[in-house]
Amino acid sequence: MASRTEFRQVAALFGHELRRLLTGRAYWAMVLLLAPLAGYGYIEAVRLFGEASKTALSFPELARGMAPLDGILVPTLGAFYLGTTLLFPFVAIRALGQDKESGALKLCLQWPASTGTLVAVKLLAVGAAWALSLVVPLSAVILWRFSGGHLAWAETANLFLGHALYALAVAGIAFFAAAITESAATAAILTLAFTLGFWVLDFAAAAGPEWLRTLGELSPTQVLKQFEHGLLSPPHALALGALGLGLAALAAVVVPPGLTPRRRLARGGGAALVLIAVLAVSPFIGGARDLSEDRRNSFNPADEAALLRMDQGLTITLNLSPEDSRARELSTNVLGKLRRLVPRLDVHWARVDGAGPFGAAQGERYGLIVYEYAGRRAESRSNSPREILPLLHELAGTTVAPVDAAPYPGYPLVASTQAATVWFYGLLPAILLLLGWRSSRPGRVPPHHSLPTEGVRS
Amino acid sequence: MIPSAAPLLSVRSLSKRYGDAQVLANVDLELRAGEILGIIGPNGAGKTTLMECLVGLLPADDGTVFFQGSALPVSRRREAMFFLPDGITPWSDQPVWRVTGLFRELHGFAKDREAEVVRRLELGPVLGKLVQALSKGYRRRLLLALALLTPQPILILDEPFDGFDLRQTLQVMALLREVAKDRALMLSIHQLKDAERICDRLLLLDTGRRLGLGTLAELAAQAGAARADLEEVFLGLTH
Repeated sequence: MASRTEFRQVAALFGHELRRLLTGRAYWAMVLLLAPLAGYGYIEAVRLFGEASKTALSFPELARGMAPLDGILVPTLGAFYLGTTLLFPFVAIRALGQDKESGALKLCLQWPASTGTLVAVKLLAVGAAWALSLVVPLSAVILWRFSGGHLAWAETANLFLGHALYALAVAGIAFFAAAITESAATAAILTLAFTLGFWVLDFAAAAGPEWLRTLGELSPTQVLKQFEHGLLSPPHALALGALGLGLAALAAVVVPPGLTPRRRLARGGGAALVLIAVLAVSPFIGGARDLSEDRRNSFNPADEAALLRMDQGLTITLNLSPEDSRARELSTNVLGKLRRLVPRLDVHWARVDGAGPFGAAQGERYGLIVYEYAGRRAESRSNSPREILPLLHELAGTTVAPVDAAPYPGYPLVASTQAATVWFYGLLPAILLLLGWRSSRPGRVPPHHSLPTEGVRS
Repeated sequence: MIPSAAPLLSVRSLSKRYGDAQVLANVDLELRAGEILGIIGPNGAGKTTLMECLVGLLPADDGTVFFQGSALPVSRRREAMFFLPDGITPWSDQPVWRVTGLFRELHGFAKDREAEVVRRLELGPVLGKLVQALSKGYRRRLLLALALLTPQPILILDEPFDGFDLRQTLQVMALLREVAKDRALMLSIHQLKDAERICDRLLLLDTGRRLGLGTLAELAAQAGAARADLEEVFLGLTH
């Protein structure tokens, strides 16, 4: 248990680190850019949602497709995601990189706190600074509510959690980059190479071999998509958390300048192996929960109960090219849900030969999906759960009667964007500018400096 | 206080290489309680390297450090020593009072202790200024204030008088002499006149080797010039 002295030291360090971040221009530049960026995302989302809602309000069937999660929240936070990817690294790097550059780190390393504590406190302060910047998307959420918009709190909180974990991953990368480079500028380039590299990985994984697709699933941008779909997925949350915390821990391991190169390599290598091991086991953790209000990641409860009992190992072989739109639909509508439910599911992408000049694959078996379970086998070309689920139940030898569930009603709304325009393009930037100016002021000298004193002895 | 004979800190065979260059070669030294030990030597003698190796900010290739007779591993050096490097500009976007306040809070000192250090180093007029707005002299005084707001029994300062005029140097020397009543000081000093004024003993380094360690009189005797001042001793012992 931490002593009172240690708590006081950590509190002093945290206050110092947070103040440094909040007095830095990088932070205020980030939030100032985020305000119109996220504001534009929100205003455009409300406008488009309103356009679609005009028709949907007359036709209840169409209204079911009007989900605020997809229509409002994801686009608004999408702009925020850009800020976290491209601007937030510059804020996070300051916490460690500036200390290295200015020589302050030499003083910090002689403080009573351990290097691990120092880095942890810096990470906590960076996290707090990022959390303060949530005022931008949270104000969009409030504006949406005031406009009469609907919000499902579970999926909304889940989406914010996903973005928080993504920010943690970016901060971890930034800390690691700052620890292994000599200047903050080099660290920024390295961090952006990482974060933008994930975009490249996403593109490559979409059409690449199976190992690349597996690797691509661990990309932070792909992991964030799970949260955007309303899924609270422990393996994905663990992967993002481990990446952020692991890289920050790695930074703490390699940053002390008093290490010999051999010791630094040994310590860094050991910590990196632990991190890789955690990332490697994370996909095997189950228990994902569908928090979306429209249950988009779930089947009918009766189907789900039957699928949960299929514990003898289901193998699905896809004779499809991964970039084929049918494959993508199948992944979203069926495979993603099955992965969450069937205890031992194996999905194989069969080698597809004879692709035509425009990427169109040929061959008789192309498009065929083979299901194997308990020695039985079935084939289908469908990518609809309505056809695939009965087929799976037949393989398992069960009969399922779907349970009646209330359909998602949808929440169409035509809302005005006038208040949001004033807030995001005028009022909020003005308030942020004022706060930025105030935080850069030195503040009032405490009164104890004006009192008479005695002696300087230790 | 008269320095006691038993060393507070002993260093044996401290060595450091950068590639083929031997920067420190088997350096031995002792620092006694209440003593001010000066480290002098020409440019590139290894003064800063010696101090950084001592506190563990730089990995030494060889050597042992003893504190009060017990071996002190690198991981515990910061419990015994605080090193103030030269040429650093920490927390330049913070006001002076916040930086001194941080050191006070971290080390659990009373507010009047911080106020006294600030007063003695005449930092009062610049307390409300940002560190980046300070002149070189004020910045140096702030760094000294930070060193005085640490609890370690040994204080190691790299070029503590750099940036001060003569009057300020004498004031800071008086302050350091007062501090030395409770803490042992090791100072790397470029200006030999300054070193002669404040140091009880001197360690003379050249190209990483120890050329001499002792009082001015002892070094002068070693140089074969009994009444020589430090500059003459320096010229006599270095090449």
